[in-house]
Amino acid sequence: MKKVFDRFYNLIAVICCLLLIGVLLYAVSLLPSYGEENPRSVEVVERYVEHGLEETGATNIVAGMILDYRAFDTLGESHVLFTALICVIILLGKDKKNMRREYDSYYTVEAESYHLLQTDTIVRLVGYVLLPGLFLFGIYILLNGQLSPGGGFSGGAIMGAALIIFAVAFGFETVDRVFTEKLLKTVTFVALSFYSFAKGYVFFTGANGIDNHIPKGVPGAILSGGLILPLDIAVGFVVACTMFGFYSLFRRGSIGHDITFMDQQ
Amino acid sequence: MTGGWIGFWITAVLMLAGMLAFTAGVIGANRFGFALNRMHAAGIGDTAGLFLVFLAVWVAEGIHMDTVKLGLIVFFMWFTSPVSSHFLSQIEYYTNPGLYQFLHREKQQKGDA
Amino acid sequence: MGSTEGFRIVLLLLLIGCAIAVNLTKNLMQAVIIFMSYSSIMCILWILMESPDLAITEAAVGAGISGTLFLMTLKKIKAEDAGENEKKIKKKKGKR
Repeated sequence: MKKVFDRFYNLIAVICCLLLIGVLLYAVSLLPSYGEENPRSVEVVERYVEHGLEETGATNIVAGMILDYRAFDTLGESHVLFTALICVIILLGKDKKNMRREYDSYYTVEAESYHLLQTDTIVRLVGYVLLPGLFLFGIYILLNGQLSPGGGFSGGAIMGAALIIFAVAFGFETVDRVFTEKLLKTVTFVALSFYSFAKGYVFFTGANGIDNHIPKGVPGAILSGGLILPLDIAVGFVVACTMFGFYSLFRRGSIGHDITFMDQQ
Repeated sequence: MTGGWIGFWITAVLMLAGMLAFTAGVIGANRFGFALNRMHAAGIGDTAGLFLVFLAVWVAEGIHMDTVKLGLIVFFMWFTSPVSSHFLSQIEYYTNPGLYQFLHREKQQKGDA
Repeated sequence: MGSTEGFRIVLLLLLIGCAIAVNLTKNLMQAVIIFMSYSSIMCILWILMESPDLAITEAAVGAGISGTLFLMTLKKIKAEDAGENEKKIKKKKGKR
């Protein structure tokens, strides 16, 4: 009986997959071919390419699109990251209810320093050489978002990766001196609320036909593009904090080293 | 004329040597059974192969901005790849309880005899 | 465009191969590593499609951070060599 059911189940699964593949391939075949102009979207593209530079002040048209024309979309994306961080804190965060002692003891700072990995001279030395370069590269990509490829998401992801390498090379004890849970909360909250208020102001004035008095600057200069640079910085900080928060929560169940809780234990 | 041919042959030999190192690295990383051996093979591909290919490109193209950037990438890889191999092998050393038998095989054989 | 056409086709074939291999492999660790190589190939494809923004993000997020998070999840649920045991059991059963 079970064998018959298994065979039937597999048959149904294969048929479903084939149907899905067929539907998707049919949808792809209806799309305009690569490089061809799509008549429905061509007006928007023309507007972006021809007037993008004068309307947004950004040399990099992609940055002008995602942070000026479609800033609402990017606002949603950064809030998605924030929500994901909150969910991971709820699921993996250590508190009195969510504590499995014999399991968590494997991941504490003491248990890891037992392996002597944090006092490794080679890793530490390379960390000293590499980390300033990595952080500088992330900040460069972040600040040049309106001029060259890059921007908030890429720069923030590189800064988050640099923070993770920092934690790997020097240990969580060193990171905790700089990067606490309070700092993460403050930075994320300030960045997201700044983004919302700034963009809300621009949308409000724009919808009512009022001049918003934000200087566009000379295209190509580093302080240009109106609100794009500060918004890039806000998105970048949110992404960096989220990435490191994920790593820290996955690794040990808390963002900063919570001393009061450890004392209660 | 002859200078161009010499440059071409140097480039070809260096490029082939680099490709050989990469191939050895890939085959070793896939075929070796023991973790530290695999790390060694991957390290050969990342350091020697990359450096030889970079030298070939450098001989063929001469020194200008792009090759200098490539050199920076090679510098970065020479910094990071051996260190990551070192870190991984250290983790293997501390966490694999069965590693002892691989490291002290000769002693054990003497003890058996 | 013409010179990169062959390179692009090879990369797309590799991409399809990686996507199938992720499904077929039983070992979760290998699946994560194949997924990371998929992201690296996708990163090169983004550069060929002239969108370096996405390439940087894909290299940092897809190949770097998400792979790290997957590996840490495997460590957390203690499934680093899941699938290996099943293989051994199958082999033993076959011998019998």
